[in-house]
Amino acid sequence: MAELQAIVSKMENDELDIDQLSEQLKRAQELIKFCKDKLTKTDEEIKKILSEK
Amino acid sequence: MELIQKDEQNATPIAKASAKCWASKWMLVRPYFERTTGQQPQAGMKVLLKVYPQFHEAYGFSWIVTDIDPTYTLGDMARKRQEIIRQLKEEGVFDLQKELQLPLFCQRIAVISSETAAGYGDFCNQLADNPYGFQFQTQLFPAIMQGEGVEQSIIKALERIYSLTSHTSSLTSDFDCVVIIRGGGATSDMSGFDTLALAENVANFPLPIITGIGHDRDESILDMVSHIRVKTPTAAASLLINHLKMVLDTINDAQDSIVRLTRQKLATLNAHLSTVQEILPKLFSMVKTRHEARLETLFSQMLSTMQQKMITQQNRIEVIESRIPMILSKSLMEKRHLLEMVEEKTKSLDPTLLLARGYSITLKDGRTVRDAQALQKGDEIETRLANGLIRSTVQ
Repeated sequence: MAELQAIVSKMENDELDIDQLSEQLKRAQELIKFCKDKLTKTDEEIKKILSEK
Repeated sequence: MELIQKDEQNATPIAKASAKCWASKWMLVRPYFERTTGQQPQAGMKVLLKVYPQFHEAYGFSWIVTDIDPTYTLGDMARKRQEIIRQLKEEGVFDLQKELQLPLFCQRIAVISSETAAGYGDFCNQLADNPYGFQFQTQLFPAIMQGEGVEQSIIKALERIYSLTSHTSSLTSDFDCVVIIRGGGATSDMSGFDTLALAENVANFPLPIITGIGHDRDESILDMVSHIRVKTPTAAASLLINHLKMVLDTINDAQDSIVRLTRQKLATLNAHLSTVQEILPKLFSMVKTRHEARLETLFSQMLSTMQQKMITQQNRIEVIESRIPMILSKSLMEKRHLLEMVEEKTKSLDPTLLLARGYSITLKDGRTVRDAQALQKGDEIETRLANGLIRSTVQ
């Protein structure tokens, strides 16, 4: 979560150039999916998802 | 019941007596007491009784109870509570739980409750059926939630939870928080939650503890030292669900922000690109024109400089050209003069002129004679005159 919010604040302060933007966007997407999954899926389902990756 | 008076300092009994109450009387007295104090008459309570003495042949001396003053007990209870609170504050543990924070992803819940309590069932159902699909993992640590033994059984449950908790870092702890709940239950039975030992255990516990054990009329000491206090088990479930909801909202906000900011950034960059795209050809032709102009200027400069040079040189040639005849003729004249002078000189040196004036030239053997001594007798000499020649012999 802290990482996610750090990404948001970097974007707000316009610190990212176009390449970093794309990479940070991907990372943010991963983080968001992970956090949301943590909330709505059980631990087992999460372990399964992680091992499938 | 047995009445005891204890020494203030060390709790050793000083006096003892037995007291009795007629059942009919007790049926009135007890509910009155319970209503007022919210407690049942229990061992260890201080009470104010209205009594009259009775001496029975067989049973000996005893007091017969006719009435009870609950406010005395209330006062005593309140005093005891204040005492406990004071001690907790003195130990510095009173606010410990308040300094803890519910972890963000608070999903593993240790529940201390009674299995049969309706509150427990409601709590679990509410968590399982939450409208957001949040997943919780609850584990029940059964305890006695009313009457005697509350203190000890909750403390034991806390100890069991603690022993299951990893002590290295809170991230790998087996639980995120503890919930102590009980159902609607008799509010009269709250006294078990007011003990010092229980409060100390809860206050010092490393995980945040949520208590939902009474109705809002009574705030027990347990409620005061716990991290958060709610009124009912349902409220505890709501609290946990809303906590996760807040986390979800934060995630969604971050997501929205990221999308918005990324779009903005892309739009800005695209706009820049378009602007540059438009300007570039113009800029290019501007630069081209400028360079061409410079070339032209240089070229015409070159031309005019060349022309000037040529004119200058031409002028010089002309000047020299015009002066040549003069110089030539002057030179010629000089030479002529010279020639004339030489001619005159040579003319004047012509020997014929000398002869004409009367001079003569004496020659011997074709060579002029200048010295008379050089002549000898008999030499033949020639004397040339203006007119003619004389041959003679030297005597």
